[in-house]
Amino acid sequence: MYRYDDLDRQMLTDRSNEFRHQAARRLSGEITEDQFKPLRLMNGLYLQLHAYMLRVAIPFGTLSTAQLRRLAWVATTYDKGYGHFTTRTNVQLHWIKLRDAPDILDALAEVGLHAIQTSGNCIRNVTADPYAGATADEVDDPRVWAEAIREWSTVHPEFSYLPRKFKIAVTAAEKDRAAIRSYDIGLHLRRTRDGELSFEVMAGGGQGRTPYLAKTIREHLPASRLLSYLDAILRVYNRAGRRDNIHKARIKILVNSLGVEEFARQVEAEWAQIEAAEVDLPDTELARIRAAFQPQVFDPQPAVSPVFEAAKAADPEFARFARRNVHPHKVPGYAILDISLKAPGETPGDASSAQMETVADLADAYSQGEVRVNYTQNLVLPHVKLADVPAVYARLKEARLATANIDLITDIIACPGLDYCTLANARAIPVAQAIAKRFADPERAEAIGELGIKISGCINACGHHHLGAIGILGVDKKGEEYYQLSLGGSAGADAELARILGPAMSGQSIPDAIETLVETYLAHRQDGERFLDTVRRTGLQPFKEAVYAVAD
Amino acid sequence: MKVLTANSLTTGEVVFWNAGRWAVAFNDGQRFDGDEDAAGALTAAEDQPRMVVAPYLIDVEDMDGHWVPVAYRERLRALGPSNHPQHGKQADGDADVQALAAVTSSARSTGRIKLIRR
Amino acid sequence: MPSLIKLDAGSDQPRALTVQDAFVFVHDEEPIPAACDIVVTLSRLSSEGDDLLASGRRVGVRLQPSEAVEDLAYDLPRLAVVQLVFAKFRDGRPYSSARVLRERLAYQGEVRAVGDVLREQAMHMVRCGFDAFEPADGSSPEQWVAAAYRYRHVYQRAADEREPIHVERAQIASGLGHNRPDEVGA
Ligand code: SF4
Repeated sequence: MYRYDDLDRQMLTDRSNEFRHQAARRLSGEITEDQFKPLRLMNGLYLQLHAYMLRVAIPFGTLSTAQLRRLAWVATTYDKGYGHFTTRTNVQLHWIKLRDAPDILDALAEVGLHAIQTSGNCIRNVTADPYAGATADEVDDPRVWAEAIREWSTVHPEFSYLPRKFKIAVTAAEKDRAAIRSYDIGLHLRRTRDGELSFEVMAGGGQGRTPYLAKTIREHLPASRLLSYLDAILRVYNRAGRRDNIHKARIKILVNSLGVEEFARQVEAEWAQIEAAEVDLPDTELARIRAAFQPQVFDPQPAVSPVFEAAKAADPEFARFARRNVHPHKVPGYAILDISLKAPGETPGDASSAQMETVADLADAYSQGEVRVNYTQNLVLPHVKLADVPAVYARLKEARLATANIDLITDIIACPGLDYCTLANARAIPVAQAIAKRFADPERAEAIGELGIKISGCINACGHHHLGAIGILGVDKKGEEYYQLSLGGSAGADAELARILGPAMSGQSIPDAIETLVETYLAHRQDGERFLDTVRRTGLQPFKEAVYAVAD
Repeated sequence: MKVLTANSLTTGEVVFWNAGRWAVAFNDGQRFDGDEDAAGALTAAEDQPRMVVAPYLIDVEDMDGHWVPVAYRERLRALGPSNHPQHGKQADGDADVQALAAVTSSARSTGRIKLIRR
Repeated sequence: MPSLIKLDAGSDQPRALTVQDAFVFVHDEEPIPAACDIVVTLSRLSSEGDDLLASGRRVGVRLQPSEAVEDLAYDLPRLAVVQLVFAKFRDGRPYSSARVLRERLAYQGEVRAVGDVLREQAMHMVRCGFDAFEPADGSSPEQWVAAAYRYRHVYQRAADEREPIHVERAQIASGLGHNRPDEVGA
């Protein structure tokens, strides 16, 4: 995996020195809160309900074990001993003091971690397929390109004060595990018929108040031309994006007001005038980055592991874990192993320092020292020998990390909501906890099958409610926490936005409503249909009738 | 009645105004009867940009003999997050905090709260 | 009246000086003063530019963030200064304007940052081709330069001379080492 070299690390040191300087000027009264706020935000430091929150970037969701251990240490030393993994594959520390922040940034910089551009109207942390480098269905490691974007976008002189935040995601696999169409720019890498790497470039996706799926603005972009093309998109956006209304400032509004053809035309016109050779990385630099993501050496293993098969036969709980959390690897005899941070009753996405240490130990022992963060708020061990899965499982179980619920009804995405977030309308975490408890029986959850519930505490949609098979949005109705249900969303290759089911309901009635939705689905389900398929086939009507008949 | 609140600049902790100083516990905050006194305190607080960030006034009411913030958001600020009862001010768990917590959870079902109104 | 800071192009170390501002900005409703160097708005430049430029003085223009530098192309070689207004420091449009001026329109004259011009954005401005600044925060030239060159490396090419980090890497790899001014004092 990519490790920062001396120059990258000097960048991080310079950055944290700069922030130390800025924080000192704020504390001494030399600059006002108004001037300081964007500076701290660009270093990931928010002021939330109870304390400052530090959002640390995990570029393309890849963590070394040294980095994960350092996060655990920071969480213990400066916070309350846990971290919250988010849908942006960042990790948030919720109890930070401003006066500690410069020291924390230094401690993170030592292992190549940082909070650069995790907030503010700039190019944010680049995300990628969490199975990159491990899955058989990719044409290239998307992180090569994500790292190129990471470097290009870091402290960009021209694009640090955009109309609004800007997010880019990359995938190189047919199955989209990075939700790329919900991004300002989604990049899908494929091979052309001549074997050349080429990006489909999509722009104008985003969630929030006005959700849009990104639209294709260029079918085939030679991969080596990526950065100059991004330059062109960003310049068009920086100059033409709206700045008079925060709700209309994202690129999705520009793309949709100009129309996708006109937007694409402007980008092409700008691109034609950019001195691309100045921007696009030379082959030598691309080769250097590529070398950092060279596939690891995998000891040859038998495709079928007797140890693994025996464990499945002996222990039904392990067999369930193997069905839900263990996925095929590109190398025979290896597996990609999902670690659920959704134990029923826990806060979705939270991991204690001790749990982080456990995962780091396991990654060192069994996964070539690599951990991934999935936007579903789970962790991934990308390279585990099938024969080692039972041992990994045993350790995970001790650490309460072996919940076998990936993609099931209890694998709920939830933003921090009103428990932490200053922008929230309602809490999200307790709703997730109540649903997870209701469906805690793993057998039942598995019988219900794939069902993504996604909860946001406000219209900003950090909990991806627009993309949930069941989306739940917290609203404020005459001072009470109310929740609006929507159905039929998904983030993957079949991306679609969920549609609102009906009037919002109180928090207490949500578990019953979910129960009703599930029963309705089971009553209508045809062979092998997922919840999402049934909703898409039948439409909302039967679900609406069932939920609101009960409510009346 | 109103109470003046803010977050401490250096620590981010929720604080409450009392006669020119900032207290950590909600119950140690000064309650203002008149709008004028409250506004005067707010102006004074805004003059302390090196102590606190974004001071503002919140409405409080007497419920069953205890002063509580009207807005649910403010109750969470005065207590701590509901998913981690051991985090935040609620961790200290003295009588005032317990009363506030009890009132907060019982009030939730009565609709007698404002979620985010300050 | 903010003071005017100019980058010192003649020095090989990054340096800046406080200079006397020779230009007077003339609002649209004001008459053009006699015999002094002036800066006018884009609309005045369009309507009266030829007369002004013929009057034997130096003339500059002040552009609002929404005004396109491309509209200056014809007059550009005759303009002594282009002032780009930062309406708010958060409004990043002037960065693009400055780069287009320098890199695409090859403008050689002074590009000056006016308006909500703060030290924290000094690096972005310098990298995008600004060489003159009217800081709204009272920064001294030394503070300005220290902020502008706080980073030893940059990841992209822009309108300045700095080479991106991958060029430094290639030089290190080929044994040439890298030549850069050492970090300028804080
Ligand atoms: S969706 Fe709203 S409540 Fe949830 S984290 Fe985002 S801004 Fe906060």
